[in-house]
Amino acid sequence: MFEFVVGSPLNIVLILGAVLVAAALLIWVERRVLGFLNERLGPNRVGPWGIAQSLADVGKLITKEDWVPPFADKLPFIVAPIIVPVVMLLSFAVIPIAPGVGIMDLNIGLLWVLAMAGLGSYSAMLGGLASNNKFSLLGGLRAAGQMISYEVFMGISILGIVILSDSFNLREIVEAQHKHGWFVFPQFIGFIVFVIAGLAETKRWPFDLAEGESEIISGFNTEYSGMKFGLFFVGEYIGMLLLSALIPVLFFGGWYAPFGLELPNAIISGIFWMCAKTGCWIFFFILVRAALVRPRYDQLMNYGWLVMLPLSLLNLLVTGAVVLAQGN
Amino acid sequence: MNAAANTANAELPAVIKALYEKFGESAFVRQHTAEGMPTLWTGRDKVLAVLRYLRDEHRPRYEMLLDVTAIDERTRINRQGQPASDFTVVYHPTSFSGNCDIRIKVALQMNDLNMPTAIPLWSSANWQEREIWDLFGIVFTGHPNLSRILCPPTWKGHALRKDHPARATEMEPYRMSDEIQDREQEALRFKPEEWGLTRKSENSEFMFLNFGPNHPAAHGVIRFALQLDGENVLDVVPDVGYHHRGAEKMAERQTWHTFIPYTDRIDYLGGVMNNLPYVMAVEKMAGIKVPQRVEVIRVMLAEFFRICSHLLFYGTWAVDLGQLSPLFYCFVDREKAFNIIESITGARMHPGWFRIGGVAQDLPKGWDKLIREFVDYFPARLAEYDKMVMANSMIRQRTRGVGVIDTAGAFDWAMTGPALRATGLEWDYRKQRPYSGYENFEFEVPIGVNGDCYDRAAVRVEEMRQSCRIIKQCLENMPEGPYKADHPLTTPPIKEKSKLDIETLINHFLSVSWGPVMDPTEVTMTIEATKGLNMYYLINDGGIGSYRTRIRTPSFIHIQAIPFLSRGLMLADFTAVVATTDFVMADVDR
Amino acid sequence: MNLLFYIAAVVSVLSTLIAITRVNVTHALLYFILSLISLATIFYTIGAHFAAVLEVIVYAGAIMVMYVFVAMMLNLGHATIDQERAWLKPTIWIGPSLMAAPLLAALVFVLLKDTSAAEMGHTVTAAKQVGIALFGPYVLAVELASMLLLAGLVGAYHLARK
Repeated sequence: MFEFVVGSPLNIVLILGAVLVAAALLIWVERRVLGFLNERLGPNRVGPWGIAQSLADVGKLITKEDWVPPFADKLPFIVAPIIVPVVMLLSFAVIPIAPGVGIMDLNIGLLWVLAMAGLGSYSAMLGGLASNNKFSLLGGLRAAGQMISYEVFMGISILGIVILSDSFNLREIVEAQHKHGWFVFPQFIGFIVFVIAGLAETKRWPFDLAEGESEIISGFNTEYSGMKFGLFFVGEYIGMLLLSALIPVLFFGGWYAPFGLELPNAIISGIFWMCAKTGCWIFFFILVRAALVRPRYDQLMNYGWLVMLPLSLLNLLVTGAVVLAQGN
Repeated sequence: MNAAANTANAELPAVIKALYEKFGESAFVRQHTAEGMPTLWTGRDKVLAVLRYLRDEHRPRYEMLLDVTAIDERTRINRQGQPASDFTVVYHPTSFSGNCDIRIKVALQMNDLNMPTAIPLWSSANWQEREIWDLFGIVFTGHPNLSRILCPPTWKGHALRKDHPARATEMEPYRMSDEIQDREQEALRFKPEEWGLTRKSENSEFMFLNFGPNHPAAHGVIRFALQLDGENVLDVVPDVGYHHRGAEKMAERQTWHTFIPYTDRIDYLGGVMNNLPYVMAVEKMAGIKVPQRVEVIRVMLAEFFRICSHLLFYGTWAVDLGQLSPLFYCFVDREKAFNIIESITGARMHPGWFRIGGVAQDLPKGWDKLIREFVDYFPARLAEYDKMVMANSMIRQRTRGVGVIDTAGAFDWAMTGPALRATGLEWDYRKQRPYSGYENFEFEVPIGVNGDCYDRAAVRVEEMRQSCRIIKQCLENMPEGPYKADHPLTTPPIKEKSKLDIETLINHFLSVSWGPVMDPTEVTMTIEATKGLNMYYLINDGGIGSYRTRIRTPSFIHIQAIPFLSRGLMLADFTAVVATTDFVMADVDR
Repeated sequence: MNLLFYIAAVVSVLSTLIAITRVNVTHALLYFILSLISLATIFYTIGAHFAAVLEVIVYAGAIMVMYVFVAMMLNLGHATIDQERAWLKPTIWIGPSLMAAPLLAALVFVLLKDTSAAEMGHTVTAAKQVGIALFGPYVLAVELASMLLLAGLVGAYHLARK
C-alpha cells in the first residue's frame, strides 16, 4: 500500500477530483432531498434515481449559447464567475481530511480560508456591477454588504478556537480537539455564530439576498447564462461543501471518530468519519433551506452588527480570560 | 318585472327621500330596476354634491365608492322613463354601516363628454375614471393623469363604444413592422415626470426600476415602475393592461348563456366562483328561483375555489418572503381540491359549470367520499402551515406593521374582501347579504386588527378553515332534488321535457339556440368572491344577450392602492405587499 | 522561491501600472486587486506568511471591496470615463512623472549598492512571533494606531448619522 503524504500529487488530484464530483453530486442530492422535503420527486429521470442529472445539466449548460450582453462590461463580466470556484477550491487545499490526506498543511490554514472567503465576495460584486442591469446591481450591492459584514463575524467567531488550540493550523486544531475534546462545547457561541456567518458567506438560503429571487429576479447573476452561470452555481455548492467540511474540522473533532468508533485503518477511518460528519452538515443546510425565511436586508445587517458581533466579541473575551486564568 | 317596480314605487326608500329633501325632487329622475336598488339620475353639476352628501352627511353614510362605470346608450332601444343620454356615467356608492347601495347616474351628450372628477371624494375613483376615459372617451376634468390604462397608449378609439369593432375581422389585418414595434416600445417607456415623480433629490439620484411585466414576484403580467433610493421604495406606479381581453366587450356579442365560460377566466383562480354572480344576476332578471340542491352545490364548489385561491395566495406569499416549502405543500393540497372539482365538473380551473337556473349536471355517484376525505385531511394540514408560516418569528418580523391600512383608508381605496376585514371591520357579503343560501350555513367571519400584511394573510388562512367548515355542512346536509330549476327560462332546459310534443321541442330548440329572452331591465349582483367583492352589472335591452356588462373586480381596485401601501418600505417589503394584495392579472385587466 | 518572487514582482509592477492607466474604474480596481494579491505572494515567498494572508484579508478582501462598493453606489457612467480620459493626457501626468523619475533612480541606486540584505526564504515568521512583537516592544505603536482608528470610526459614525 502506498504512503499518504500531505501535498503529494496523487493527493491533490484525488482530493480536487473528489471535491468536484462531490459538488456535482451534491447538486443532485440537494434537489432530491429538497424534493422529498417538499412532497415532490425532484430530478429522477437521468440515470438510476436521477443520479446523472448534474451531468446532463453540465452538458446543457456547456452547449448553451454563451451570451455576453452587449451592454455589459466585458472584462469583469467574464472574470466574475471564474473567481468563486477557483477560490473555493483553493480553500479546500487546507482542509485536513485524514492523517496524511490533504493538499496543503499550512501553518496559517485558518487565515487562508478567511482570505479566500474575502476574495470570493468579488465574484458576486463584480458580476453585479459588470452586468449593467439594475437588478444585478442591487444584488451586487447586497452581496457586498452582506459578505463583508459576515466575514468579520466569521473571523472573530473562530478566534476562540485559535486561543484554545494555540494555532492557526487546521491539523493542529483537530489534534487539539483529540486531546481536549470537541471545541463545540467550550466554543458554543462561537460555533453558532460561525454556522450563521458561514451560511451568509456562501449566500445559501435563507441568506440568498444577493439573488433574492422574489425581489431582484436573480440578483447578481441575472444576466448570466450557459457555463458562466454554471460556474456561479458550482461555486455555490463547493462553498457549501467547504463550509460543511470546515465545521467538523473546527468544532467536531475533524477526522477523529466519536465515541471511540474507530475503523481498523487510521486513514480509512479518518476519511469515513470526515465524510460522515460533512454529510450531516450538508443535510442540515438542505433542511435549513427547506424551512427558513429570507430576512430583509436591513434586518440581516442589524442582526449581524447588533447580535452577532457583540456575541462573538464576548465569546472571544471570555475565552481569552479563561485561558489566561488557567495559564496562571 | 312590473310588479316589482310597483311595490318599489309604493314605498320610497329612505335614502331617496333624504336626497329629495336635501336637493329637491326636481334634481333627480328616478329609475326602476328589477333588483329594486335605488337608482337616481342627476345632473352633471350636482353629482359631486350628491356624492359628498351621501358620503359625509347622510345617515347611514355611504363610505365606499364601490364602482364607477359608463354605458354607451346610443343604440339602446328600451330606455322608457330615462333621461335622454348618449353616454351615462354610473356611480355606485355603498354603505357598510347601513348595508345598502345606491346607484347615481349622470347623462352626457355626445358633443360634451365631460365630467368632474370624483378623486377628491374617493381616491379609488382615479383608475376607474381612467378606465372610463380609456374605453368610452369621457373626459374627467381635474383628473391628475387621465391616460389610457387598459388599452395600450397608442390605441386609436375607445373600445367599449358601440361603434368600435368587437372582433379582429372587422379591422385591418394587424402587422407589426419594425417601426410599429419601436413606436410601441417607446410608448411603454416610463417617464417619471408624467407621474409627478422627480429623478433626483438634493443628495441622491433615484433609480427607476421596472418591476415586471415579467418578474417572479409580480404574480402575472403587471409592471410596477419603482422609484428607489437605494433599497427604499419612494413611490410606485403600477402599469396594468397587459392582460386585457375586453371581456366586457365580448359579453355584448355573446348570448346570456354563452358568456358563462368567459366569466371563469376573469379571476382564473376563482373558477365557478365567477359564474355565480353572473348566473345569479341573470336569474334575478328572469325571475328564476333555483332549487335548494342547486344552491348548496353552488356554495360547495364556490368554497372549494375559495380554498384553492387562498392556497395559491398562501404558498406564493411565503415564497415571496423567501420561504420555499409552503408553496409546494399548498400546491399538493390544491391538487387534491382540483381532483374533487374535476370529478364533479369535469374541469379543473375553468369549469364554466353553473347554468342559468341550475348547474350543468347532477353530482356524480359517490361524490361525498372524496369530499369527506378532504374535509378530514385539510384542517390538519392548515394547522401544520400555521406552525411553519404564521407562527414563524421571521415571517412576523417581515410582515407585521408592513403595508398598513386602516378601515377608513380601505373605504377610501375601495378595498373589500380579506383586505377590508384585516383592518378590523367584520363585514362579509355572505353574512350581511346572504345569497345562494349562505344564511343556512354556520361560519365565522375572521377579522384582523392592524390591517398589515400579516393580518391580511391571517384572515385568508382562517377563511380557508371556515370554507372547509361550510363544505362539511354541504356534505352533511345536501338536499335531494333536481339540479335545475323547473322554469321556462332555465338554460339549457331540462331535456326530458323537450321530447313530449312538437311544441316543447320548438321551445327547447329556441332556448338552446337563443337562450333566455327577458324583459329589458338592469340588474346588479355582488358576491364575496375570493379576493373581494365581485359585481356584475347587467343591462338587458330585451335581446338574447347583454347590452352592457360591467364586471367590477376586486383586483383592479386593489392594485391602485399598492403605491399607498408601499411608500417608504424596502424592496423586500414591497413584494410582501404585492403578495398580500392578492390580485390576479386576468381579474385586473378583464 | 526566487523564481516565484520575481514572477510575483513583475506581475505586481505591471498590474499596478495598468491599474493607474485604466479609465474604467472597475477595470482599474480589478488590476489593483491583482497587484495586492501579487504583493501578498511576495510576502509569502520571503517568509512573512502572516503578513501575506493579512494583506489578502484586509486589503484585497475588505478595503478593495469597499472601493468596488463605492463604485457601485456611484454608478459611474460614460461621463466619468471621458473625464478620466481627459485627465490621463500627457500634459497632466508628464510633469509629476519627470520629477518622480530622479527619485526612482536614486532608490534603485541605493538598493543596488546595499548588499547587506539577507538571502530570502530562510526565516519564516510565524503568526505567534508577529503577535509577540506587536504586543511586546511595539505595544505603544499598536495602541496609538488603534486610538487613531477609533477616532476615525467615531468620526465616520457621526458623519453617517447626518
